[in-house]
Amino acid sequence: MPELEARGLVHVYRDSGVRALDGVDLRVAPGERVAIIGQNGSGKTTLVRHLNGLLRPTEGRVTIGGEDASGMTVAQLASRVGLVFQDPDRQIFSSSVTAEVEFGPRNLGRRGERLRASVARALVAAGLADDGEANPYDLGGSRRKLLALASVLAMETDVLVLDEPTTGQDARGVERVREVVEEVTTEGRTVIAISHDMRFVAETFRRVVVMREGRIVLDGTPDEAFAHESWETLSSTYLEPTLAARIGHRLGLGPTPTDEGLIAALAARGRTAQ
Amino acid sequence: MAGRERLTRASHSGLPEWLGRPGPSAYHRLNPLTKATLATVTAVAAVALGGLVGPALLVIGAVLIPAVAAGVLGRLLRLSLLLALPIAISAFLVNLFFFPGGRTELLRIGPIVATAEGLGFALEILARILAISGAVTLFYLTTRPSDLVLDLERRGVSPRIGFVANASVQAVPAMVERAVQITAAQRARGLDTEGSPLRRARGILPIVGPVILGSIAEVEERTMALEARAFGRPGRRTLLWAPHDTAAEGVVRWLLLAGLLVLVVARLAGVGP
Repeated sequence: MPELEARGLVHVYRDSGVRALDGVDLRVAPGERVAIIGQNGSGKTTLVRHLNGLLRPTEGRVTIGGEDASGMTVAQLASRVGLVFQDPDRQIFSSSVTAEVEFGPRNLGRRGERLRASVARALVAAGLADDGEANPYDLGGSRRKLLALASVLAMETDVLVLDEPTTGQDARGVERVREVVEEVTTEGRTVIAISHDMRFVAETFRRVVVMREGRIVLDGTPDEAFAHESWETLSSTYLEPTLAARIGHRLGLGPTPTDEGLIAALAARGRTAQ
Repeated sequence: MAGRERLTRASHSGLPEWLGRPGPSAYHRLNPLTKATLATVTAVAAVALGGLVGPALLVIGAVLIPAVAAGVLGRLLRLSLLLALPIAISAFLVNLFFFPGGRTELLRIGPIVATAEGLGFALEILARILAISGAVTLFYLTTRPSDLVLDLERRGVSPRIGFVANASVQAVPAMVERAVQITAAQRARGLDTEGSPLRRARGILPIVGPVILGSIAEVEERTMALEARAFGRPGRRTLLWAPHDTAAEGVVRWLLLAGLLVLVVARLAGVGP
């Protein structure tokens, strides 16, 4: 599995002149689970679009497994880095769920049993195993979003990048995405997700990268990212710590970014009091 | 002066900043209907006039000189040539080489002969195409669609017609942006848009499908959102701002239309070159 690295990444949009990335250094080890958070326009999407070559750096470079991504086409990079877009309707075009999921692996040259197996695995992982023959446009918004996820999962890339995977998802859908992230990283593959859902971030990821105005301003574990000392940084990019983190701080329990962490800290305090 | 006062009031009345924002040149600041009339008259007159001199003079007088005055000459040349070039080139070549009745041979390529008569007619067609594309482009570069719609509504045109006209113009950049995003999403799934022409052709369906379906869905949603805000209510609207207009411009518009009418009637009657 390859290591991803962005070094001194700068991106200036030619049309608007906006400097969306302003010297980003980021290294992601194989099998890592990384969430990128930050206000709209902080450069999150611009950053991940460099990982599969959809955008090319104005300055700096991106390497995948030590190889410079600038020498590879998007189609070549797509076999290593899968990117699930935020809006599923911007990619769905097939008349059946199975055909839609087959599109990516077919482009990578997979055929026959290998193709069928990848598609079946992806459909099961996304909870769409019974919808193979359905028309994608007959699915609800939440399931269309899972279909978009399945269509990239089927490509079985070493790196999976998710752009706002929980937006528009119901609780079951969020749980499904969380399971997919855990499954993929258990296989040693890397997951990077952009999200505004702080609870999902705290409960699913082991590393949180906070971006503001094209720069990384915080990089640490969820405990560090949602600890009281980081609240000012989060606030500067219009983010709030999770409710569990705020309750934990109010009760003097230390960092408790997740519900489970908060319950465990409360139980520990109860035991100490006894 | 009245127009300027109205503009000043608009910019200080808490209305959106773009409403009432004056254009950068005197030509931009003409009433949208005046510019639309100029564009229409230029395009129709170029066809009605015939010959080479008339359309060529129209290109110079009604397109190039105003474009210089408006400071958009460079963009106008690029855009109108881009629009007209495919048609212009094919029309030019067809008339140059296949003009019926051409006798004065200029060039022979195998069985195909370019004639002087064909060249003359091809140049006439070229001048007309350039006049039409130039007039339309000049209007597009110097007029905000919303200004034209507001002006038409002020004159009693149904808001529905105005909306359809405005939405059609605005839909083009929106569809381009949608297509860019969809292309990126499909490329991220390995669609090769950088390979051979055959590979590129295979990539059309995954891009065109979502563009069209997305646009249809967007139109439906936009329609419902408009209806939810009483767009279909009968009766006249109260306009917060109306584009600048003067009596003199009104006279010019009528004169232009009358001139065009005379020209068309004269041409139908067989008068002129």
